[in-house]
This record gives sequence, C-alpha cells and structure tokens, in this order.
Amino acid sequence: MTRDAMKTNADCVIIGGGVVGAAVAYYLAKGGMTNCVLLESEYLSSGATGRCGGGIRQQWSTEPNAQLAMDSVRIFKTLEEELDADIEFLQGGYLVLAYTDEDVEQFHKNFKLQRRLGLDVEILQPAEIATRVVRQLNTDGVRMATYCPSDASANPFLTTKAYAEAASRLGVEIRLFTPVTRILRDGNRIVGVETERGVINTPRVVNAAGSHSVLLAQTVDVQIPITPYRREILVTEPLERFLDPMIISFSFGIYFRQVKHGSVIGGFAYPDEEPGFNEESSVDFLTMMSRKLSFLMPALKHVKVVRQWAGLYDVTPDAQPIIGETDGIDGLFQASGFSGHGFMIAPRVSSLLAQLILGQKPDLDIGRLNVRRFSEGAIDLDHSVV
Amino acid sequence: MRLTRHPILEFDRGREIEFEFEFDGRRLLGFEGESIAAALHANDIRVFRESVRRKRPRGFFCAIGRCSSCLMTVDGIPNIMTCVTPLREGMRVETQRGKGTIPLADLSSAGSPPPEPRRDSDDGATIPLAIVGMGPAGLSAAAYAGRMGVETVVIDENLVPGGQLIKQTHMFFGSREHYAQIRGVDIGDRLIANLESLPVKLMLGTTVLGLYPDRTLSLLAGTRHMQLKADAVILATGASENMLAFENCDLPGVYGAGAVQTLMNVHGVVPGKRVLMVGAGNIGLIVAYQLLQAGVDVAAVIDAAPEIGGYHVHAAKIRRAGVPILISHTILRVTGPDRVESAEICRVDDHWQPVPGSERKLPVDAVCLAVGLTPNCELAFQMGCRQTYMSELGGPVAVHGPDLETSIPGVFIAGDASGVEEASTAMIEGRLAGLAAAEWLGAESDTDELARLRDEAADSLKTLRAGPFGAKAREGKEKMLSSMNEDKAGTQ
Repeated sequence: MTRDAMKTNADCVIIGGGVVGAAVAYYLAKGGMTNCVLLESEYLSSGATGRCGGGIRQQWSTEPNAQLAMDSVRIFKTLEEELDADIEFLQGGYLVLAYTDEDVEQFHKNFKLQRRLGLDVEILQPAEIATRVVRQLNTDGVRMATYCPSDASANPFLTTKAYAEAASRLGVEIRLFTPVTRILRDGNRIVGVETERGVINTPRVVNAAGSHSVLLAQTVDVQIPITPYRREILVTEPLERFLDPMIISFSFGIYFRQVKHGSVIGGFAYPDEEPGFNEESSVDFLTMMSRKLSFLMPALKHVKVVRQWAGLYDVTPDAQPIIGETDGIDGLFQASGFSGHGFMIAPRVSSLLAQLILGQKPDLDIGRLNVRRFSEGAIDLDHSVV
Repeated sequence: MRLTRHPILEFDRGREIEFEFEFDGRRLLGFEGESIAAALHANDIRVFRESVRRKRPRGFFCAIGRCSSCLMTVDGIPNIMTCVTPLREGMRVETQRGKGTIPLADLSSAGSPPPEPRRDSDDGATIPLAIVGMGPAGLSAAAYAGRMGVETVVIDENLVPGGQLIKQTHMFFGSREHYAQIRGVDIGDRLIANLESLPVKLMLGTTVLGLYPDRTLSLLAGTRHMQLKADAVILATGASENMLAFENCDLPGVYGAGAVQTLMNVHGVVPGKRVLMVGAGNIGLIVAYQLLQAGVDVAAVIDAAPEIGGYHVHAAKIRRAGVPILISHTILRVTGPDRVESAEICRVDDHWQPVPGSERKLPVDAVCLAVGLTPNCELAFQMGCRQTYMSELGGPVAVHGPDLETSIPGVFIAGDASGVEEASTAMIEGRLAGLAAAEWLGAESDTDELARLRDEAADSLKTLRAGPFGAKAREGKEKMLSSMNEDKAGTQ
C-alpha cells in the first residue's frame, strides 16, 4: 500500500495476502512485532480467500477442528469492533443435511462431540426444518439435519482488507503485486526473501501462500504435502433477503448461502476432480450446480446466475492445515494446507501462530498441526469437509 | 403512441391481447410477441422499476437486453428484461421495487434429484463451426463458411435474424457489392436468403451464456439450458450503446439511439412527441431523420465536437426539415418528476467545458443518446482471448489479426465486436472470418477459390475504409496489428 522503496530488513516477512497472511501480520504487529512486510503476488484476496463462499462453521467431526472453529467465531464476533471495519459478519447458522446411513451415524457422533464442547447445535427431523429454520427447502431424501444457529458467515474480501489495513496502521508494510521468487536460507536458518522487486533480509518467514506454498517451500528444499484441487463456485443476481443459514450437505455435495448483498453463492466439489493448478470455469459445473440448487430450493430456478469462477483448495492428507515452524530450518513458519476451510478458522489459527512466532506459549497447543505429523504416521481425518 | 402509418415500414403486428399491469391492476392492450417494454410504452407507461438504493424511477434504455435498466417483475418472477421478453396474453407485469423476491413457497417443481456429478460427462452436441450473432457480420460469416462446405450453427438471442439491420430504414451507400441502394431492413432478408442450400443451421431465441476454454458454448433457449461444443468459433456479437453521464441521466425518457430505432422501426411505437438528439455522428443524424419520418418532432441535434461527425448528406436532410444541428453543444441535465419533461443544453469551449450563460432549456419528453458504441467482447474475454484497449475501435477489444483470428487459434471475431464501424464493413469482416474459419478447419473445398474470395474481401474492406470516415477504424486496426507484431517479436 506504500509507493516508496520496499524495506530491505524486517523481523518477519509474510508471504501471501489472503486472510491468513493478513491476519498473521495483524496479530504479529499487535503483539509488538511491527517491523514486518506482507508480500502478495497480486492483490489482497486474489487467491483462495477471495474465491471462497465465506462460511464460518463450527460443526466439525474432530475436537481440535471444532475447538479452533468455535474460538474463531468468538473472535469474529468482536472483530468488526477490533479492526474498525464492516466485514458483513452474520450469525445466520448452518443447516447440515444428512441423506445416507453413514451421514446419520456420523451426525449423531458429531452432535455428541460438539455438545460436549458447548456448541449450540441441535438435531432436527426433516419436518422441523421448515418450521424451525428454512421453509423453502425441498427435504426429499433428507434423513435428518443438524442446525447450529451460532454458525456464521462473513465477507472474505472485507475481512482480509480489514486485517491488512489494521496491520498497516500498526506499521506493517504491505506490498501488492510483488511475487516472491524464492526464500533464502543460510544453513539451518532463514535469512531473507527474494522478490521481483528486490531482497528483504529477515530471520523469519511465514509461508501463507495457499497451494503455492508448496513451490515456495521447495526453494529451501522443504517438501510439504499439499495438493491443489480446483473447486468451482457461482453467484446469482441479488434478491431481497430470504435465507439466513448456510445450507450444506456432504453426501448430496453442496453448500450455499445468501450474502448480504442478496446474491446466492454456492458450490460443490466434483469427486473426480484431477489435482493441479487449474482455475478455469467449466460448463459442467454451471449445469450441475444449477440442477442441485433448483432441486433443493425449487424457486431458485427462476434466479439468474451472474458469474462463476474457480479457486484452489490446498488439500493435505488429513484435510487439516499445516501450521508451525519447520523442523531443521529456524524461522520458517508454515501456514497453509487449509483444505478448503481456511477462512473460517483464520482468526484463531493466525493469532496462535503469531504467538508462536513471538516466542510466546500459544493459548492452545497447535503442535498437532505441525508438518512433522505426516512423517510420524497416524493422521486423524475430519469427515466434515465439503 | 403507436404508429399507424409510416412512409417506409409496414408493421406486421401480432394478435391484439390483454395483459395486466401491476398486481390486481389495470388491464392493458398490446400485441402478442412484441416486447413487454414496447407494449408498456404504447400505453404511455415509462417507469418500469425503482432503483434499489436511491429508489429512482427507471425506464428502459438499450432495448437489446444489455443494460438492465428495464427489469420488471413478470408473472411473479423478478428481474425480467422486458425489452427483449415477448408479451403473452394474460401476463402480469409489475413495477419492480427493490431487488425482487421469488415465489419461494412453491416446492412443487423440484423434480428428481440430480445424478452423481462426473467430470467426464459429455451431454452436449458438437459442431465444426459455431457463430454467435446473426447480424450482418455473423450472417456473412455463415454464408462464406457454408460456401466452403463447413457445417455451421449460427446462434442469436433475438427472435428474428438480422441484428441491428432490422431497424435500419435508410438506404446503404457504396457499391452494389455492399448492398448499396438497399435499405437495411431488406439486407437482413438477403443475407438469410444467401444461406439457402448451405449446411447452416440458425438457432434464434437462444442466448450464449458462456464460452469456455474447451470451446463449449453454454446456451439458454427460454428455460432450456444446452451445451454445444465447437471446433471453431466466430464471435459476431456486435456492440452496445454508450451512456453519457449528466444530471438525471437515468430518468425514463433518456434512450440509446438503437433503442429508439427498435421501439419505432421494429415495434412501431414512438418514443415521445419531441426529442433531443445528442450526437451528430451518422447514427445521430440517421435516427433524427427516422424520428421525423415517424412524425416525431426533433428539437435539435447537438454534439460537443466542433464539427458534424456524420456524412453531410444525412445532415443536410434533417437541416432541410428545419432541425437545428448545434455543434460545440452538450447536455447538462434533464428534469421531470418521473420522466423527462425538459433538457438543458449549453455551449462548450475549446476545452470541452460548458460556457456559463449559454444554458438553454428545451421542452422535450425524450432524449436520444447517439454517443458511440462499445464492442461486445465478453465471450472472447471469458474464454481467455488477449484483450487490449483501442479507443479508435470503441474501447476494450479482443486482439486480432487481418484474418480476424484472436489470440486463441480457431476463435475469430468480426463486425462491431472486433471494433466499432458500420454494417458494410461488418459484412466484409464476416466474410473474411468465415473463410478464415473454413481454412482453419481444413475445409475440403477448393483452396484456390477460398484464396480468391479472401483477397476479394480484403480488397473490398480496404476500399470501404479508404475515405476519411474509415480513418479511425483503419488506424485502430493498424495499431493493433503492430502491437501484435511487437508481442510476437518480444516472445521470440
């Protein structure tokens, strides 16, 4: 955001201007490390953050994930005040639909776990969906649902911008359209970052570049197990408000919500999508998503799609993010591999990572999210991934 | 008001029918198949919706389904483009306030659940050549590709072919080859006749929603969605009218010149009683004359430029009819509670700035904007064709060479979509694109014949652009070519 010469020395360089990079920059500066530079190869939210659906869900099947998400909602609730910006945060709830035996079994397990953690989730029978949550839904085939009214959504662009501007106010330098060509190491420590606009000397780097994190890590001979998958999404013309909750189903394969502006935004994942850096839109997706939407909410067949696009999920083997310092290289911190749910847990994960970087003991142990888990074997797969 | 007599046109109107305006409201008369917007106009209704934020009255502006100013709620469905939606008996047409609501309670039409999604599903038809747009460029392209034996589909969202030709009552200039002495309305028919016995299929009433990198076209015909995969594509999607920013420019009664032509020459409905024409290029001058033909008073033709941009023969015709042409004049504002009642104009100085004290108020009930066009290149950009900004060609255009091929091999662009000119050059560009597509597809016809036709068309285009009126397009196309060559040199 500044036009004068880029800093050549920093305490920390954050690579990636998505929500995670911007939030890490903010929490570092808030914790006292203000001599930081945030580098973004294009513009803020130009990667996965700006292409996502903006949902904030706490209904997860593993305790650590549910805990991170619940903590994030707590942060989100006061974030507009803290960052002094409108981020369109709305607690409209999440309605999760079960269609299969496996769904029903898993949902009961999830419900128990989530209630134990204190989440306001409840189980609904199909008939209750219309009376309790949303009247306009076609519940053909729905076996049951879980509904959590405190689940939420926000605008990913505004959230990232709010974090970045707050960081900037605290002294962080934000450099857009500044691609990083490589990370620089000297033996077992980080010494800097090379960009297309020069070198920044720094002892610490946060690699928060989504799917591109893999390529950046390779420049210092570090392998991180992230595979990019295209995920497509579309948005309709705006309508007057009619839908508060995000509606999702893992087995039916869909998520959609109405954003503040009035548009319906949503997508689903092709089970047979090939991995790769493909961000092209497809007509298959437009066709199938329209069919899915108009099956679940028949009145939506009268609504026009105005735009579709694609983004990349940075998927790890256990669908959980890679957070923390890299063994063997002092000062290299990973913050990627969010596997499609980075936005919703970004506030909490970013503040925990900032604590780690600042040399503090994190409020919540995130050692389990270190990349070393993949070389240690046993991983804990979360079943609640759309 | 509807026209009953016109010196050139006869209106082939459909059956007279009743429709409903506003919920439980008035019953109005219209003609089946005409646009809803035209029927409302004929009933002297100008306000179609309220803007979402500031609740400003909005009418229609472009009449070709581009600008979204005319959105109304029709039979309970919001955001219907009334300028391109045909009127049907018993329709209920409502002024749209806010963003619109859908009939959410209706769950009856859910149908069966969609199948498992698979990437390898292939439920679309295929065609060697798809042409988007059935105006002069598209139809010419189809004729020449068809002549080379290429199986072709031509797609257009309108219900009648011909593009903007269907509203041109004036005779074209030039040589016989360029349909000189023939009125635009009749040229469209001749272009269609050219396609007889060729392997060309026309798909009318079909909107191309998207063009994907794998050359799949996403099509919408009514409520039916289809896919069509093409080997080669010619985009002949025309241009959209420019808006001019001035106070109250969104007031109903401010129209694009093309919209006035559509209303008047296609539907036989006049836009008002007294019109101010903004723009003294060919379109402004011709449409001013057409307004006079339809019995509408033209208060003045104004243009901010210090000279008349269009052909002087057109200017002379309207001057003889007593219409003043005021050069170095601009429009400051229009006024009226919910439709135009007057327009204020003034002189501009050498720096295009209003001259204080020169303001004048004209009592008019419509303002017609003929202030240029912008190429419709969205499909090319969607697909990933390289774009450039070329003011001589009307704004952002898809980069293309003399054979009209874009940066993506086998994807061509012709007519106003490749740079705004006029119908004669559009027809020749269409020919060139049709021939180039045939060659690219490896059409098995006579290659000598193809080369001969191509040279002929290239010469013809050169002739058409030779005069001072072709200078801008000529310069634009040359500039683009040299930037393309530089790019090529840069990548070598």
